[in-house]
Amino acid sequence: MVCVNVDVPVVGVYSTTAAVADTGEWGGSRVRVCWALSRHTDRDVRMTDVTTDSGVVAAQTGRRSSARKESNAGVDGGWKVAIWFLLPSLFGFLVFFLIPAIRAIAISFQDFNLLRNAGTWNGLDNYRFIFGDDVFWNAIRVTAYYVVINIALQTVLALGIAVMMDRLTKSVFVRGILLLPWMLPNVLVGLLWLFMLDPSIGIINEWLGYFGIRPIAFLANPDWVIPSLAIINTWKFTGYTALLLFAGMQTIPRNLYEASALDGASEFTMFRTVTLPLLRPVLALVLVISIIGSFQVYDVVQAAAGGLGGNPGDPLNSSRVIYLYIYEKGFLGGGSRFGQAAAAATVLMVGLLTITIAQLRLLRAGESDLA
Amino acid sequence: MNLKGEPTRMKNLNKLLAMLFALALVAAACGDDSDDEASDDATEESTDSGADEGEEDAMEDEDGGDEAAASGVSIDYWLWDNNQQPFYQECADNFAAESGITVNITQFGWGDYWDGLTAGFATGDVPDVFTNHLAKYPDFVFADVLVPLNDFVEADGTPTDIYWEGLADLWVAPSGDRYGLPKDFDTIALVVNQDLLEGSGLTVDDLQALDWNPSDGGSFEEAIAALSVDANGVRGNEDGFDAEDVAVYGYVSNTVYASAYSQTGWSTFTGGNGFEYLDANPWGSEYKYDDDAFIETMLWWRSLIEKGYMPPSDILSGSGSDTIFTEGSAATMTDGSWKIGTWTSGDVNGAFVPTPIGPSGSRSSMYNGLADSITTASDNPQESWQWVQYMASPACQEIIGGGAVVFPAIPSATKVAQDAHAANGVDVSAFTVHVDEGTTFLFPITRESAEIERIMGNAIDAVMRGEGDAQTIIDANDEVNSLPLSG
Amino acid sequence: MTTTLESPTTRRLNIGRTGVWLVLIAVLIASLFPIYWSLRTSLTNNASLFDQPANVLPPEPTSFNFERVLGIGEITREEIEAAGANDAKFSIVRAVINSMIVATAITIFQVFFCAMAAYAFARLRFWGREALFTVYLSALMIPPIFALIPNFLFVRDLQLRLGFATIDLSWLPFQGDLGYVNTYIGLMLPFIFMTPFAVFFLRQFFLGISREVEEAAVLDGAGHARRFFQVILPMSVAPIATLALITYVTAWNEFLWPFTVGKDESIRVVTVALNDFKSQTPGLVRPDWSGLMTATFVAGAPIIALFAVLGRRVVDSIGFSGIK
Repeated sequence: MVCVNVDVPVVGVYSTTAAVADTGEWGGSRVRVCWALSRHTDRDVRMTDVTTDSGVVAAQTGRRSSARKESNAGVDGGWKVAIWFLLPSLFGFLVFFLIPAIRAIAISFQDFNLLRNAGTWNGLDNYRFIFGDDVFWNAIRVTAYYVVINIALQTVLALGIAVMMDRLTKSVFVRGILLLPWMLPNVLVGLLWLFMLDPSIGIINEWLGYFGIRPIAFLANPDWVIPSLAIINTWKFTGYTALLLFAGMQTIPRNLYEASALDGASEFTMFRTVTLPLLRPVLALVLVISIIGSFQVYDVVQAAAGGLGGNPGDPLNSSRVIYLYIYEKGFLGGGSRFGQAAAAATVLMVGLLTITIAQLRLLRAGESDLA
Repeated sequence: MNLKGEPTRMKNLNKLLAMLFALALVAAACGDDSDDEASDDATEESTDSGADEGEEDAMEDEDGGDEAAASGVSIDYWLWDNNQQPFYQECADNFAAESGITVNITQFGWGDYWDGLTAGFATGDVPDVFTNHLAKYPDFVFADVLVPLNDFVEADGTPTDIYWEGLADLWVAPSGDRYGLPKDFDTIALVVNQDLLEGSGLTVDDLQALDWNPSDGGSFEEAIAALSVDANGVRGNEDGFDAEDVAVYGYVSNTVYASAYSQTGWSTFTGGNGFEYLDANPWGSEYKYDDDAFIETMLWWRSLIEKGYMPPSDILSGSGSDTIFTEGSAATMTDGSWKIGTWTSGDVNGAFVPTPIGPSGSRSSMYNGLADSITTASDNPQESWQWVQYMASPACQEIIGGGAVVFPAIPSATKVAQDAHAANGVDVSAFTVHVDEGTTFLFPITRESAEIERIMGNAIDAVMRGEGDAQTIIDANDEVNSLPLSG
Repeated sequence: MTTTLESPTTRRLNIGRTGVWLVLIAVLIASLFPIYWSLRTSLTNNASLFDQPANVLPPEPTSFNFERVLGIGEITREEIEAAGANDAKFSIVRAVINSMIVATAITIFQVFFCAMAAYAFARLRFWGREALFTVYLSALMIPPIFALIPNFLFVRDLQLRLGFATIDLSWLPFQGDLGYVNTYIGLMLPFIFMTPFAVFFLRQFFLGISREVEEAAVLDGAGHARRFFQVILPMSVAPIATLALITYVTAWNEFLWPFTVGKDESIRVVTVALNDFKSQTPGLVRPDWSGLMTATFVAGAPIIALFAVLGRRVVDSIGFSGIK
């Protein structure tokens, strides 16, 4: 058993419960990390001797922080100070987010015609309609299927790439190339892949042809369309996600790896015992953002799903994701179903908020290992 | 904490901010400089697209601007077809010269056009006049965002009977209010890729009077069987034809299978089998997709896919019929009159033959037409009306006809279009035969076309994919009829 | 793999490293290939796309597509039709300038305002802080099409309708005919004050900054403003640069909002111009793939160039040396 005392700056994850965070939340904890070379490898990292206050010690200097209560930190300015920092964002939030959101929720209880921009209250009718609508439930299923494939692929790949960049090369050139797909607008990504996946002249099908595989209509076949869309967005976002994770990895003190290497730990062990646990806060940010983003997938579906000749949502509703459902109810058909679209959007907002809060709690629960 | 590092970081941040500001300044400066350049560009580009007309347009635009300032009225007009824009610009210029009213024409692609209108109606940011479509206008009427034209028509004594029969009536709501004056019409014909006739033993003349029926497919099915070729070069009417690996399909529908109206697809066949979409058109209250005539036509179509004469849904949706046809992977295709130029001037050596005669004993084509509508948000309804009236008059429609893009709604102007096509060496009688012989039927007009398209489109696609049957269509029909079709 | 005489461990390591390098190279190729393919397509005639779909090099390379997309030289309608192409206008130069103005301004303001908010959430204690942050975060979940219409009405009328009261802001300067519709300000307005992502992102990183330095500043008698400007911002240069990059690219790629408020040709940004180009297909045999891919390439080039210029600074900053 080898133990090292280090001070780890941990970027906190947000918690809905803690008014004042105990550990982690405020930036860092002093931890004693031990690598058990025994076979109890399920918990290779044991972090004990954590300073339970919120003091932070910079890892480079190794100086110990004096135990300090948060209230003594002299940062408590109350609203009188906070308001000046929050004023611009509060204005923007109120005007461009809050008022529209409240309006959307109000519309979800109305028989609302978008063209007239007016409606009459109709209680829960819109909710009754969408909950009774097979197409709505199908949209939820299709979207969830997409999210699972996309997030699994993207996160695993991005983690792998981030580790490679961290441990193998820090070349700016490599990072630049990985970021390129993310820089293209969604619509163009959709079109580019529509072209590459075309059954008649697409390069992917040409290559499959060399192996004797008949052309596959990736975007017009009910079984292929969602996996194809998930792969397209994985292509677009993996580099970006990898860079965020890579950024998070840079906050992990090098001496942890050095100590670990001295013990003869393999790269994989180091990943499992050092990288992953200490990356958790940034991983939480990345997961929360990318899961919300994936549930809102729309542009690429609009541009590519159904194939060149087909319509978004085709074939047989297999690519009708929830945002497309909301768009169609809201904008097509002369806007007379705008209330239904608002109801679907409200359900989605509540669902995403629940998922996000649960996710943050779960990830925080995971973090308690460190404490 | 490495305190020594701090000044460096500070410098870095300053550098970064400085760079961003510099960038903004440069960008803003460029923006100012290039104002004139940009308008020059615009002029050049319109010259590119419309030969010398473009230059005239641009110049007249400027003149028009002065006039508008003088008379104080300018109206906005939207359309989606960029091929027609130069000709409408010509109309607008003539109109401005006559009336002193300036018309600003804006063109958007199809999808953006309708999204822009929908959002625009909600915010009041819509043009005074726009090109309307039969599938869309019932929902606009329901939302009271269009100006009824009755009073204008009455006051000016505008004739509504100068158009091809039936076109003007399409734009009258159940209440008797008129919401548009017709500008053009379109019909359907069979386009033949003449290069692919070789080896089939067929000539264009053999295809002039095809017939079909749902039991054995008639001479149409024989023809497309002969035109289908598999990967080994075996034809559809020969033994050993591999329906799973087809190189050239005998026929392709221009509309994908997932469609409730299929203007350029099955509608010409179902129409020839006596099928009518609605109990009454326009403004019916019940769709009749559960009609045997419809279902048997669909099942016959599916058999064509199974036989390898028509592409499966994956391929049709995946590549799109235009790509399939252009690539030479299909020998014939039903398509609309607005695409005449496409199939005679591009890579395809196209010829047009009339659509096959159905079991009812006659041909059949959907008859669709566009019209111009005025929005209630318009500040100048009177001037807008003058523009609508002008576009619906022979003066403008003959200019449009001369463009040989669409058939104008006034017969004399249609003649101009036919002559223009003839001057290009294109025989368009396969399209006009429908109006000459009265074998057209009207586009079904009800509300909720978007929902109908999705519900019925999916049902028909399921049948074509072999995942649905007659009952699928009957169920979808019930669902369609449960929608608020008339208000 | 390697034939040198080495200890088994080193050798295993080398083989392992080589393997990982190969994987990384494969990933890089996968990232780049579609972009290369768009370049290859833009150098190809539409007709040749059908004849040689699998040729990795452009069959009969031509600069025709670049010329027509950039509007270089005289190209007749006949030439365009002969190439099976689209004759739509694509005023890319103007659009790129507009995009640069809008994206730059959004980046500067958004990053600054969100840094202020993030400082409050990370460092200040005030009543309801956690609840307010949750509410901020929930703004991530509002579908843009619902914000679209109220935001448009606000930008046009500049009336803040709260239900119980209306705040009139129509005295604001630099308005056009319809409030801020079809102005640069209108294109920027919803994005310059805050986005939930930017606040979330910076808060997470501010939380990781040592309090010691801040306290040293307190001892010097620094107030919150000085601490924010002289301690937090300088120490966060890396995450701020990262966020600036993300914000810039996101602003550059924004479509729905500029399409709604900035349809005027003079104010049109790249995505709107590109969409316009894309949707000009009626009567066209098939999509103008070559033209589209050229437009994609041309539209993407400025941001890639910018990235190359600021490259080392921005990408390297993702190394986050400032946080340790």
